Amino acid sequence: MKSRTSTIKGGKESADAKKETEIKIEPITRLEGHGEIRIKLNKGKISDVQFNVTSARFFEKFLEGRLAEDARIITPRICGICPEPHHLASVKAVEDAWVVNPPLAARKLRELLLLGKQISSHALHLYVLAAPDFLLGPFAPPEARNIVTIVNKIPDAAKKAIELMKHGQELCATVGGKAIHPVTAIPGGMTKPLKEEQRDEWLKRMDRAMELTEFTYQLLLKIMQDYWDVITKVGVIETYYTGLTNNGEHNFYDGSIRVMSPSGRIEAEVPAQRYTEVVAEKVVPHCYATHIFYRKAGYPDGIWRGGPLARINVVEKMVTPRANEALKEFRAKVGRPCHATFAYHWARSIELLDAVGKAKKLLEDPDIVSQDYKLEKVEPREGCGVGVVEAPRGLLVHNYWTDKVGIITKANLIVATNHNIGAIEKSLNIIARQVIEDKIHEKLKLPKPMISA
Amino acid sequence: MAGKAKAAFVQLSSCWGCHQSLLDLHEKLLDVIPLLDIKYWVAAVDFKVDDLKKLPNGGLDAGFVEGLCRTEEDVHLLKLTREKARALIAFGSCSSFGGVPSIANLFLKNELLERKYLKAETVVDKNTVPSENLPQITNFVPRNDQMVKVDVYLLGCPPTSQEIANAVLALFSGKPIEHSIKTICDECERKKEEKNVKEFRRDFEGKPDPEKCLINQGYLCMGAGTRAGCGAQCPNANHPCKGCSGPPEGVADQAAKLIGTFGGIADMEPKKLLEVFRDPAGQLYSFTYASSPLSKLRSANKDEK
Repeated sequence: MKSRTSTIKGGKESADAKKETEIKIEPITRLEGHGEIRIKLNKGKISDVQFNVTSARFFEKFLEGRLAEDARIITPRICGICPEPHHLASVKAVEDAWVVNPPLAARKLRELLLLGKQISSHALHLYVLAAPDFLLGPFAPPEARNIVTIVNKIPDAAKKAIELMKHGQELCATVGGKAIHPVTAIPGGMTKPLKEEQRDEWLKRMDRAMELTEFTYQLLLKIMQDYWDVITKVGVIETYYTGLTNNGEHNFYDGSIRVMSPSGRIEAEVPAQRYTEVVAEKVVPHCYATHIFYRKAGYPDGIWRGGPLARINVVEKMVTPRANEALKEFRAKVGRPCHATFAYHWARSIELLDAVGKAKKLLEDPDIVSQDYKLEKVEPREGCGVGVVEAPRGLLVHNYWTDKVGIITKANLIVATNHNIGAIEKSLNIIARQVIEDKIHEKLKLPKPMISA
Repeated sequence: MAGKAKAAFVQLSSCWGCHQSLLDLHEKLLDVIPLLDIKYWVAAVDFKVDDLKKLPNGGLDAGFVEGLCRTEEDVHLLKLTREKARALIAFGSCSSFGGVPSIANLFLKNELLERKYLKAETVVDKNTVPSENLPQITNFVPRNDQMVKVDVYLLGCPPTSQEIANAVLALFSGKPIEHSIKTICDECERKKEEKNVKEFRRDFEGKPDPEKCLINQGYLCMGAGTRAGCGAQCPNANHPCKGCSGPPEGVADQAAKLIGTFGGIADMEPKKLLEVFRDPAGQLYSFTYASSPLSKLRSANKDEK
């Protein structure tokens, strides 16, 4: 999810009283999920801003009574953009509860599956969800600000975007059986290996994916440069940050949970199994999604963010040299931590470089085609297990309790986007004041839109 | 159809996966999108609910509806789309049968709310259930076609990209959308034998032979009770079919059909067979629980109290 000011024109104004008015944006568009924004005004001044997530489906409850091995089929349905992280966090949680150690090849295949998803989701987020705002500019008519216009007006870039998403989704399908709601990760390993001919094909495709990613990164750099005034002035909020790291190195698949304070201090770093020491949820009355925050700092002081910017803030380094170079470039320009909400897209493009580079590295690893991909013997037991991975939009935690035959008796889920709900509301508060009270949009230095609607 | 087809893509409570499957047409999207005049598409276009409301009744050629009625707002949006669309398309298994999130019908609404907001290990204070400026959670998840008339069902979790493209092309040419009358078993190329099973296995047990029928190996593959159309994607990934496309043509209850199939080949004591189905609702109705006659039991009992 992301915050934008540009949809306000589509909002509905209703005058409750003469002095009090409400702007309601229903629904928020270009995202996965269901949300609305309510801005209350009193004599032209903002009196309240609410971010309402308007639906919940209660997976944490109806997992009770299910076979634990079915959770990796059930939970991907939480999110159709990011089913792979749910599939993997689920299987890791069950293996943790049952004390199962899958073969090395299975772990590498799972990581490859997750990287395929990072590639397609990051490309989708950049091109389909976010780019229309920048390429058409914030004052383009709402009905034109979308991927369809990009397809019509700059087909060359649109084709590259579609091709990059395709590489990511098809890598997921190759490894996961299906790209949307994969099935191959299972307690004890994977249901199938990667064939050598598939590996060879994917090595070639990753070279092409890297060319497309470089194109995307350069496009993002240009957007960041063009919109520098917006990025550094609009919706900048100081928050905590969280993400997985492996000895300080960026890692999507595994690691410990690191927490950074708004001033940039590493406040905590705990293994996944101890997530409750740092993760807490606040239920707010106007939102079906909880606000996740840093437990030790309390609410609302401890509101934190997850996802690309958070991960880029908390890590010391990226995995691949190319992404590391990009990280240095980023830090030289915006520092650490960077609090600029719009810099999420820049961070996302750095992660894209890393994901493609790392996928290539995994494909070059001889283990990736190993026949040792599944344990023959896996036994359920009574236990409590935690599985974590980084989903494209933030840290994902699955925590299950199982009985001795392997049925789930209780489940707790910390879902990626919820890390950002409190911060989205906080930045909407700032942006609403900036736009409505200060008319910042009339003063910002904006580029000539790359596409005229 | 003259000109472009006026279409809306609507999301009730859902995961976005059907829309992701539409996007997964990739370069073919460049052929499909120009056929459509998109009037509403939350996932990718900035139209608001008001824009949908302003359309004349019957002003849309097609309304694709993803998701289920988990909130009163979902119910409202479903009815609104029905008013506006000449053809209402249930987009995916949630919209057709309730889908995975309708497993929640095993519980009462209060139990769902309590676990998430008052009992979860990570929730602090444990004294608030959200209700301000929010649509009410429905007491149970109905099937969408119990609320409004559905003209076309696009099945699968999600429907394959190809099936979505076929539906759009059919819509454009005015032809009916045809479903396969076969089952997943008919599409699956694994070698099948006529034989009884002495022991069933859970999905994580052993390492299945990639060539042989999964049922023959004792895995609870649901292909025999599931409508064809996906190309047997899961069996091709060496994984049992989970039944996500719902029952085949002419079968109302997918679980009943599957119990018949498994019971017919099980060569074992009834007690042992029962052990296999430790969670019948989750195992056999994972995508169609809202369709089950059992589905309303708990909420109905509650109403009587």
